[in-house]
Amino acid sequence: MTVQAQAAVAEEIPSIEPLREIPTDWDPSILAFACHYCAFAAADLAGVMRLSYAHNVKIIRMPCTGKLDHSYVLRAFERGVDGLFVAG
Amino acid sequence: MIVGEQKPLEELWESIKDHKKVLVFGCNTCVAVCQQGGNKEAEILASLLRMKATQEGVDMEIQDSGIERQCEHEFFEKTEERVEWADAVLSTACGIGVQFMAEKYPKPIYPGLNTTFLGAVEELGVYTERCQACGQCILAQTGGICPIARCAKRVMNGPCGGSTNGKCEISKDVDCAWQLIVDRLKLLGRMDDYEKLTPIKDWSSDRAGGPRKLVREDVQHDS
Amino acid sequence: MTAKTPSKLEKVLAAGHFAVTSECGPPRGSDPTEIVEKAEIIKDHVDAINITDNQTSVCRTCSLAVCIRLKTMGLEPVLQMVTRDRNRIALQSDILGAAHWDINNILCLSGDHQSFGDSSKGQNVHDLDSMQLLQTVRLMCDEGKFLGGDDIKRPPQMFAGAAANPFADPFEIRVARLAKKVAAGAQFIQTQCIYNLDKFEEWMKGVRDRGLHEKTAIMAGLTPMKSAGMARYMKNRVPGMDVPDEVVKRLADTPKEKQAEEGIKMCIESIQRLKEVEGVRGFHIMAIEWEEKVPGIVEAAGLYPRPEV
Repeated sequence: MTVQAQAAVAEEIPSIEPLREIPTDWDPSILAFACHYCAFAAADLAGVMRLSYAHNVKIIRMPCTGKLDHSYVLRAFERGVDGLFVAG
Repeated sequence: MIVGEQKPLEELWESIKDHKKVLVFGCNTCVAVCQQGGNKEAEILASLLRMKATQEGVDMEIQDSGIERQCEHEFFEKTEERVEWADAVLSTACGIGVQFMAEKYPKPIYPGLNTTFLGAVEELGVYTERCQACGQCILAQTGGICPIARCAKRVMNGPCGGSTNGKCEISKDVDCAWQLIVDRLKLLGRMDDYEKLTPIKDWSSDRAGGPRKLVREDVQHDS
Repeated sequence: MTAKTPSKLEKVLAAGHFAVTSECGPPRGSDPTEIVEKAEIIKDHVDAINITDNQTSVCRTCSLAVCIRLKTMGLEPVLQMVTRDRNRIALQSDILGAAHWDINNILCLSGDHQSFGDSSKGQNVHDLDSMQLLQTVRLMCDEGKFLGGDDIKRPPQMFAGAAANPFADPFEIRVARLAKKVAAGAQFIQTQCIYNLDKFEEWMKGVRDRGLHEKTAIMAGLTPMKSAGMARYMKNRVPGMDVPDEVVKRLADTPKEKQAEEGIKMCIESIQRLKEVEGVRGFHIMAIEWEEKVPGIVEAAGLYPRPEV
């Protein structure tokens, strides 16, 4: 796209939602994609060691973070996840 | 290949927002190479549009699917059901695919891309025009570089007076096609050919002659 | 050399005189007053006046209408015609339109790209290019035929010219490109503005080596600089322009209020030097929106009075 076209599009489309008030009792829902061989193993070890971590993080094990796909990320957001954490 | 560029999301939303069941339909050949309209991009686009629908509070279903080529009948067979399901299709094929689908199905088929040109993958993420399908190739005379597609004035006996340091007068980022032609003729030891006047072109095989058609009777099915 | 057409420009050249032409840009409106005034200012000091065709792709009154205006004033116009805006039907039709009014000079150009002007969202045509337009003019005049092959009743009589840029890239084809224009039928050439005289003379040598100066009348193009700022702009921003550093320096070293005068002086000096270059047959003085300076330049360069032919 040409610079002019980009500018025209940027002008026409309000691409970012307005910021909203954050309720004081709100916790973001975080989804972690973790590689089986490292990050997930670390999370596993943390469990074995009875270490605690934030309750609002849910972990999904992946065979490798190379398996992460656009659609997983987008689907997570579609379903209301607030943030993603990819570790591998 | 045919290069396309996805339309802005807002424009796509405007075209589909009044429908209840929308199929975002990819075309996995040319426009997949430029990563704008393949099945993968259709899947991503469908997701973005679902989020948009949620944000706008519009109750609609958006699914995605795709085939290898939207410009051939055979490929549509396996996705007939998906297309039947939808009240409207957002096709991420080039303009050919969109029209071909529209001829096949009596429902709205919207374009997801702006079809931009016939080009090459110069490097990953960079696509550049090479051909304008004028219907009468002159590459043999011009050292393999097309002045019709690559000169901003399609000058047949170039360059024009605006060529500077090998660049076109319209932009320092655009190569002068005739500089490329001269360089190439020199490389091939054919500079004598430069002085041959290119005759006035017959544009009747181009767009100017009306919609074009090629019939190969030898490969047609007997009817 | 004898003139083949009723063109006054051709006659002046054929008689062996240095020819002098200048150019005027049509107005961005329909009022003829200004262009008539411009023409009146320069008419006694030039042999013919080029009327530009929507130059820099900015929409103006058409060249043909203004050429007709000049013709009715008894002056000699050179119809500039670009291939950007018209297909072969319109080009041939306008050539006949010009011939209808006995306009006898045409300059065939491709035209600046439309992105420079006020219509950057418009189409360009380029059905023919400038060399093919030259061929078309010569076909219509010499053979009395349309491109389609039919005969023309009362064919046009035109002295056909083209532009040449002795400084444009690629370097190795600067002379070859002129040879192509001559082969396409260019009877006269008006060059791009010359500031780098050494380079121009080198080009002319190449032109002479191939005998091209005998096949076409080369008129050296000159534009007086109004200021050091204009020189810098021409040097850096105008495609295909070669302005040496010493030209910019000479103007920059002149006090601001004297720069215009210095620019005129430099233009006159250039003409004096170019008169000595074998093969230079005339001068095309493009004083952009500065027509009132043309008579002074022509006189100081020893090109006045203009010959009667």
